[in-house]
Amino acid sequence: MSLFLSYLGIGLLYTCLLTSVLQITIAKQVNSKLLINSLNLSLVQFISCMLSFLILIYVFLNSDFNFQIVFLNSHTAKPFIYKFSGTWGNHEGSLLMWVLILTIFNFSYSFFSNSNKKLKNMTIAIQSFLIIGFLLFLIFTSNPFLLMDEVPSEGLGLNPILQDPLLAIHPPLLYLGYVGFSLIFSLALAGLIISEVDKSWAATTRPWAFTAWIFLTSGIGLGSLWAYNELGWGGYWFWDPVENASLMPWLAGTALIHCIVVLEKRNTLQSWTILLSILTFALSLIGTFLVRSGILNSVHAFASDSSRGLFILAFLALTLFVSFIIYARNGPSLDQKIEHEFLSRETGILLNNWILLSILFVVFLGTLYPIFTEIVFGSSLSIGPNYFIISLMPFVFILLISMILTPFVGWGSGKFKHIITNIQKPLLLSTALIFSLSIYYEKLSITEISLLILSSTLIASSLKDKFILSKKIFSISTTLGRSLTHAGFGLLIISIIANSAYSTEKIFQSKVNDILNISGNQFVFTDVKQSEAINYNAIQAFFELRKNDKTIEIFTPEIRFYSNPPTVTSETSISHQFFKDIYIVMNIPENQEHINVRIHIKPFMNFIWFSIMMMICGGTVSAITKRRNY
Amino acid sequence: MKKLIFYTPVILLIILSIFLYLSLNRDSIKMESPLIGKNVPSFSLIELGNPNGVFVTLDLLGDQKIKFINIWASWCIPCRAEHNVLKIISKIENVEVYGINYKDNQQEALAFIDQLGNPYKKIGIDNNGRASIEWGVFGVPETYIIHNGKIIYKHIGPIHISELKSKILPIIKELS
Repeated sequence: MSLFLSYLGIGLLYTCLLTSVLQITIAKQVNSKLLINSLNLSLVQFISCMLSFLILIYVFLNSDFNFQIVFLNSHTAKPFIYKFSGTWGNHEGSLLMWVLILTIFNFSYSFFSNSNKKLKNMTIAIQSFLIIGFLLFLIFTSNPFLLMDEVPSEGLGLNPILQDPLLAIHPPLLYLGYVGFSLIFSLALAGLIISEVDKSWAATTRPWAFTAWIFLTSGIGLGSLWAYNELGWGGYWFWDPVENASLMPWLAGTALIHCIVVLEKRNTLQSWTILLSILTFALSLIGTFLVRSGILNSVHAFASDSSRGLFILAFLALTLFVSFIIYARNGPSLDQKIEHEFLSRETGILLNNWILLSILFVVFLGTLYPIFTEIVFGSSLSIGPNYFIISLMPFVFILLISMILTPFVGWGSGKFKHIITNIQKPLLLSTALIFSLSIYYEKLSITEISLLILSSTLIASSLKDKFILSKKIFSISTTLGRSLTHAGFGLLIISIIANSAYSTEKIFQSKVNDILNISGNQFVFTDVKQSEAINYNAIQAFFELRKNDKTIEIFTPEIRFYSNPPTVTSETSISHQFFKDIYIVMNIPENQEHINVRIHIKPFMNFIWFSIMMMICGGTVSAITKRRNY
Repeated sequence: MKKLIFYTPVILLIILSIFLYLSLNRDSIKMESPLIGKNVPSFSLIELGNPNGVFVTLDLLGDQKIKFINIWASWCIPCRAEHNVLKIISKIENVEVYGINYKDNQQEALAFIDQLGNPYKKIGIDNNGRASIEWGVFGVPETYIIHNGKIIYKHIGPIHISELKSKILPIIKELS
């Protein structure tokens, strides 16, 4: 049975490979009535990959240790959901998922999009080229269907820090984002080859670009939530290389969706939009390369192998080299000069693009610089969060200002008076509010206060008029998406500042019955117990939060000892209150008597997650609203 | 001139690719110990659970087998977590695992072995930590790989199962 499944799984992958080759050969075919047309082929691509993936899920659920991948990454004692998510919790499985998502996008594009035949066939051919590249990678360096010589009776297990419900859905979402931008890349290259990059190209591309952006944003948000819950350091963003690898395509993608909107409305910025489309996907590929090749030392560097790295690098370099050559040849002739004044929406969005790309550049440098010094000077160093915070601060300033102003500048030409009348009230209101608050809360620095003022002005100016049903009821729908996203971003900056300024943390060495005081909160360490679950043993500590001798809440941080594979993890105990989180984590006891406890009070955590959700909702609204032409 | 600007991405890409290629050939994860490539230090220890036996430098010389020296203690929680990995290693053909029990109580060390199993061929008692200093130990657990009397590799901290796959098994394969 296992042998059959193994052959079937590989056979299906070869079917998909063959179909993809066919897909490229028929790229020039115009008659869609034939049996072998791009829609039918993309359906075969999708179904063969899907079946292959389902087989892999099946062997994981069955704990079929004939399969090497199951033996190395699963265990019979693992809860159902982690057997399931274990399918993509490893290199081979996640790569198969990557290919599957490529085919999903290819199929949905050929099924749903009503772009013209020429663009469509070319896009599908390029997408199929990407599918071929990743399939070869999968089949020849990372075959998930390899069988064991001898059948072991038990598997080695899944890394416990990956055993978290959030992590079961975080990679698929992130991949949907990364891979979603592959379709934008294919569309861009196809448009470039057939020299059709215009309003209708932008109208075709926009919903897909927004879809990819929404998935990428959700993926990053969930990853951050996972790190906060699971890693036990009390932080939600560490400027870790792997996190940066997902942030970089997000920044480029954010610039890109703005350009696509400009192109759709004003028929300008053609070559720039194409360049951003290629860049965004390039960064997704580089991100994958950085994570998979193990060239970066990171908390999440779990699947690393240098021969795999070489393959991704070769594929990445080849694909991008060809794309950039085509870009250099066809790009210059695409641009159509549409006159606009200096003070115009176009200028604002371009400025915004440059700020986003500068931020991208800073992140890129910070991520790759350690590798650079090691190659050139032979010494390694690590770049801490301070580098990012200090270098990014000025850009965030300009970004906020331009986000406040640009929406009130008209397309083609804008009027100062119009801008001022629109931002006057929000600005005054926010300044008054933040100043009065900052008198009460003393800790804030001038920089923080000004950032807070700008962010709240952004929120107020974005949301102003949006929820008041005025006579302009029809204009509401076209900009609601943008307003939500921008207001969400403003709220995110506010929450991040408030969180970093008011987070407190204290470490205690404590015995049972000790009383721990931290910024006005009193905790009593009441008990320690041992507990057992199917795949781990745990030491649980009990802390009671007391107010006037009454217990308000009980916290139970744990240390878990997983046996398969043998790993020790600290489980945090978090209480989410409206304005703050209380976060308790216990460390491995240093000796018998005391345990080491860290208590964090983290204000505004809920607002961080909420603001990311606002941005995702805004993106969704933008993806589905129709544009007006100017 | 304007057309040339459109070639900048190609040039940047070439530079980046060369740079990433160079970075691939670099082994960043290895934490070099000054002892790598040196001969096994000389030490002699009493065997745990066998007052008449000894565990000495000579045990590590003489044959072609790959020998792991694991520095551990029963009070060290990461060692407990690592123990099953050592058991897997000890079952690999042509591999022997030895232990140095670092600043530990003998009864507790024996109880630890009784409870979790014994992957070690011999365990030396290093009560005052002298032998461990000779080995250049920073903390427990640490593991050394010895072949032909030379130190090949040093692993600091518990060996995680993924590291077994990514680091330890390739070394064993290369040596045998």
